[in-house]
Amino acid sequence: MKVGYLCTFTPKEIIHSAGFLPYRVFATESPITLASGYIQSYACSQARGALECALNGDFYAFVFTRCCDTLMRLTDIFEFVGKRVHNIEFPTKIGNIDYYVKELKEFLAVLKEWGGDVSFESLLESIKLYRELEEKLKKLFTLAPDYETVIKVQQIDVKDAIKLVDEKLKSAKKWGNKPKVLITGSVCPYLKVYDLFREAGFSIKDDICTGSRFFEFNYPSFEPEDLDSALRFIAEKYFYKSPCPTKHYSNDRRFDYVLKLAEDCDAVVFLLVKFCEPHFFDYPQLKEKLEQMGKKVALIELEFPVVSTEQIRTRIEALREVI
Amino acid sequence: MRRLEISEKMRELMTGYYMAGMQADCNAWITSGAPVELLHAFDVYPVYPENHGALIGATKFGGYYCEFAEKKGFSRDLCSYARCDIGCVFAGTSPIGGLPKPTFLFACNNICNTVVKWYQVLSRIFKVPLFVLDMPFIRKELKEHHLRYVEEQLYDFIKFVEKITDRKLDDAKLRDVVLKSMEAVELYSECLRMASNRPSPMTCFDAFVNMAPIVCLRGTDHAVAFYKEMKQELEERVKKGISAIDNEEIRLLWDNIPVWYRLKWFGEFFEKRNACLVADTYTNAWSGFKVVRGSDVISGIAEVYTVSYLNIGMDMMVDIINRLIEIYDVDGVVMHSNRSCKPYSFGQYEIQKKLSVPSVIIEADMVDERVFSEAQVVTRLEAFLEML
Ligand code: SF4
Ligand code: SF4
Repeated sequence: MKVGYLCTFTPKEIIHSAGFLPYRVFATESPITLASGYIQSYACSQARGALECALNGDFYAFVFTRCCDTLMRLTDIFEFVGKRVHNIEFPTKIGNIDYYVKELKEFLAVLKEWGGDVSFESLLESIKLYRELEEKLKKLFTLAPDYETVIKVQQIDVKDAIKLVDEKLKSAKKWGNKPKVLITGSVCPYLKVYDLFREAGFSIKDDICTGSRFFEFNYPSFEPEDLDSALRFIAEKYFYKSPCPTKHYSNDRRFDYVLKLAEDCDAVVFLLVKFCEPHFFDYPQLKEKLEQMGKKVALIELEFPVVSTEQIRTRIEALREVI
Repeated sequence: MRRLEISEKMRELMTGYYMAGMQADCNAWITSGAPVELLHAFDVYPVYPENHGALIGATKFGGYYCEFAEKKGFSRDLCSYARCDIGCVFAGTSPIGGLPKPTFLFACNNICNTVVKWYQVLSRIFKVPLFVLDMPFIRKELKEHHLRYVEEQLYDFIKFVEKITDRKLDDAKLRDVVLKSMEAVELYSECLRMASNRPSPMTCFDAFVNMAPIVCLRGTDHAVAFYKEMKQELEERVKKGISAIDNEEIRLLWDNIPVWYRLKWFGEFFEKRNACLVADTYTNAWSGFKVVRGSDVISGIAEVYTVSYLNIGMDMMVDIINRLIEIYDVDGVVMHSNRSCKPYSFGQYEIQKKLSVPSVIIEADMVDERVFSEAQVVTRLEAFLEML
């Protein structure tokens, strides 16, 4: 049974260990129509597209991690339209692990109500499987970023996902020496967009939710010994994953992270979903810092579904020319 | 429309408040829903960028100052309080000459997560420390661990301020400030409740105009004195049978932040049609900041501030609006779908279906007058009033 989720901070391991299929919901190719009756047009199209999916699709439940104001209200809207939902209060301020472990415990209780009992053994198994998947994806991406694969693995069982990545690893070839662009933003489930970068002669490095933010983690150094420590393991894993603008980190960890990623890149493209506040607030100051580093910076605003790519192509080609 | 005389006093009071800010040796920029009592207890002057934004909106300079931020790359889709405030920082001024530079920043996300991003921007501009008070979203119920999480942060905040200011928190003073704050909130709620009289002695526009002291001066004697006087004026009106508008035939409730640059316009629009907007969800939100007496002060603060109006689930919001509908005995609800404020606006389509009276949704923005479409708003409101 599918349990839908939207954000990379969702503890998929727990959902999986309860016997559900964690299924990442994205906007799709079809136009957003039904959702417009439930949420305003100034909600980002990722939120509207996900709602559209939910209204059409067959899900047992949805799990949210409150990331932005839009998702916070989306949880309620999903419930009001008759969906089974749970919101995990992932803190905005990164720091208090104990608090989050308690929140995860509450989540276990909810899963139990949903008919999914989590044992230490099943959770440990899921933790291992996801780690294996993440490490393999990381390897694949250092050779050649493969967005089709990374998006696909978010909608299938983790064991099948590992097999798929294994297959891809066999044939993956390291990219040649092309100018490198860092793309940063939230989600982009449209493969065409990535192709445009390649067609313009770029190699890609990314900092987005449909790319590295899905698999870049820092794992705690301890081995879980019981259910409690397994939850702590997950809490720490997600607290210290690749940082995202929806969170508050001490010492501007998010900015430092992007600036570091950009070091070996020739250009940076902000691939932002229209109306996405967390990312758009960061953009001007981050752009300034990147330009001080001598990087070429461009902004591409996306609305889903991406129908016409010509405008985007022009932007990317223009960027390629100035490098 | 018979405006309240107290509004003159409010202007004087707020002028005094802004002037005091210029002289304060230590100030913090603070979000409207943060526990300001702690700052008062430390003698740290609180600066309210949101109030400043409202003020700029009311003077119709919203678009003008937003453009300063937009030129620097801040998207036009961002909250207009934030854009306007950041714009004033870049412009180096505002209709009141700009805000004093902050000593530190204090953002509490019990109204939105927008403020976290906005204050991060400010903290990079001013190179001053930022404290984020992270409030769990209370979708269904306040749990013990949520409360502990907030309490712990309040203690962290005290340490943070002690370090910056080199002052010690005086417990007795904090208690005193909290009591004053409660008193002001109580008086303010009583003022708002006067609108339940038929005909109403005030409109929600009076409430909007006179809310600045409960936002900016709660915890001081000024706010207490001000709302005492406002209450007197309202009681006087009720006694003498003076109503806010002449022929109150329709009573309405407003939802969301006001359209600051059109207050007068909306007031006249409704008055002409014998409709009185007697109350609103925005100003009523502050009437909830009542610290429970008797309990530990810090945990009391943690509790009231966590369950603030914009930090609760839609079920609870529906209950609150339906309660207001009952208290103020209104015939309909006007919902402002406010492009700037997502936590306030998303969900309105669904909330609307659960209200006990009819409602209408109009699209606008609280500060950015450039997006206001008068023709559209008029058509919608007229159709709605006719239907009632
Ligand atoms: S794209 Fe941005 S605004 Fe939309 S759900 Fe994600 S973080 Fe929120
Ligand atoms: S998004 Fe809403 S609550 Fe947040 S600062 Fe803007 S207006 Fe205020």
